[in-house]
Amino acid sequence: MSNHVGRGKGDLGAFLPKEINGWEAKEQDVLYDPETIFDYIDGAGEIYRAYNFQRLLARHYTKEANPRIIADLFDMGSSKNAYGVFTHDLEGEDVGIGQDSTYKGGLLSFWKGRFFVSLYAEEETEEAKKVLLLLGKKVASAIKQEGDPPSLVAFFPLENLKDKRIHFFYNHLILNYHYFVADENILLLGQETEAALANYAQGKEMFYVLLVRYPGEERARNAYEGFIETYMPEAGSSGILQTENGKWTAVRLKKDLLVIVFDGLSESHAKNTIERILEQHE
Amino acid sequence: MAEKLVTRRDFLRMAALSPIAGVFATGMKPMNGQISSGQPRVVLIRDQKALVSFKKPDPEVVQYMLDEAVIKLLDEKNPVDAWKRLVKASDIVGIKTNVMHYLPTTPEVEQAIKKRVLDVGVSEQNISIDDRGVRRNPVFQKATAIINARPARTHHWSGMGGCIKNHIMFVPRASAYHADSCADLAVLWKEFNLIERTKLNILVMLNPQFHTVGPHSYNDKYVWEYKGIIISQDPVAVDTVGLMIIEAKRREYFGKDLPMQTPAKHIRIADTKHNLGVSDPKKIKLIKLGWKEDILI
Repeated sequence: MSNHVGRGKGDLGAFLPKEINGWEAKEQDVLYDPETIFDYIDGAGEIYRAYNFQRLLARHYTKEANPRIIADLFDMGSSKNAYGVFTHDLEGEDVGIGQDSTYKGGLLSFWKGRFFVSLYAEEETEEAKKVLLLLGKKVASAIKQEGDPPSLVAFFPLENLKDKRIHFFYNHLILNYHYFVADENILLLGQETEAALANYAQGKEMFYVLLVRYPGEERARNAYEGFIETYMPEAGSSGILQTENGKWTAVRLKKDLLVIVFDGLSESHAKNTIERILEQHE
Repeated sequence: MAEKLVTRRDFLRMAALSPIAGVFATGMKPMNGQISSGQPRVVLIRDQKALVSFKKPDPEVVQYMLDEAVIKLLDEKNPVDAWKRLVKASDIVGIKTNVMHYLPTTPEVEQAIKKRVLDVGVSEQNISIDDRGVRRNPVFQKATAIINARPARTHHWSGMGGCIKNHIMFVPRASAYHADSCADLAVLWKEFNLIERTKLNILVMLNPQFHTVGPHSYNDKYVWEYKGIIISQDPVAVDTVGLMIIEAKRREYFGKDLPMQTPAKHIRIADTKHNLGVSDPKKIKLIKLGWKEDILI
């Protein structure tokens, strides 16, 4: 069961104002946990669970003759998780709120510290947008402590990175959501692995880089061999081949880190991209 | 026209969605003789006047649509006789609805169902409409007949929210069925004795959702006025038809074949692995009634 949170009693509630520009939080806040989230979010609840979320506080603001504003404050337990869930949906413009943010069509999302915040106006109006941005700034300012993004993200070259599209995640269903690899979990991803996928654009061509850090070298080796066997058996120990679309897929393993380039522009491009990344990994 | 290039990613995706993937499955014995014994009938009915405004159905038109669909599905002459084939006066009836804030089953659909259940002779005290409270609801706890009604929508985790998925509220811990994008959802129909008790599946396509975005998986932008209702006694067949329409809408809207980010493989697996119903469109008898413009199937 979800819990109604009395004003001032839930510590998460302290990050949100009770009123903003005439929009008031008249209903009681509701607190959800990883089991009760499905009472509130039908469809995407599992996404937040995939990032180990701890608690969600939902507060709804209303103002007569204006769209309802829904504030969802997720305590993700760590900045790594908050960053990850934020990167699940990167559509929109950065509006400079929190440590990174997106705004599109009445939805403002940002992360800061161990928190992920989603502010949504049920209808986008000029006034609602103004209030969303103001509310976002207030909440971000109430969260005092910043957090570090996952260290894996630092491995990606920034050159030609499309927008800021690095998705950080743990499991293969999220990988497939962003870039379908295989229905089976051939890369042995799970809550103990850290993975990141970046989307690059070079001219009109797109290519993708996937990094996975495993909890041990043995699992990394098994994943590497499983990927070769299932996805690119023709490549064998070379770890590189030209796929049906004329582009190049390459995979390399270094200790606990697996690097894969999908849709590399040429054989050398795929190899060099991997080299650049592995140079940083000791 | 050039043939579409099939890459290894396409191949792996198709393999996951094709009936072959279920060949190795266990439990091939049909779970429901009634459903699996023949070609399931699915009735799609549309009416241009089904909505008085966006997401607001016209109760009279909805009643008419449901009546016509049930009459056709069961080859009866009037709605009450048709409903008598589904429900007995002595039944305890649970109308399993869906209360998702942005896209619910709607009171209009719920009341249209309830009216006909009452017409059959079921007493009011033996009828309940519920979604998230079904496990605690005394009528649902004793229900001998269930009418399963929900809107069709794309779903962030399972690909599609349809009639198969609507019964998830009967389980104590929904997340236990979420593995592998809800692949084995059909199991819960067996585990919670829902196969025989579910007498009719109603997939509400008045305002289906064809794309999923945002923290609540919803945006009005990706909901359209299809003004349809699909019914069948086979939950897999009804979801299959609904999914085909949603996929067609996505092709129309996005101008290309854009696969759903999470494939709705639980529908195919409900057939090939769990024998809950039929997911092969060639084996489904689809009957179309009413308005045909932009029907997409």
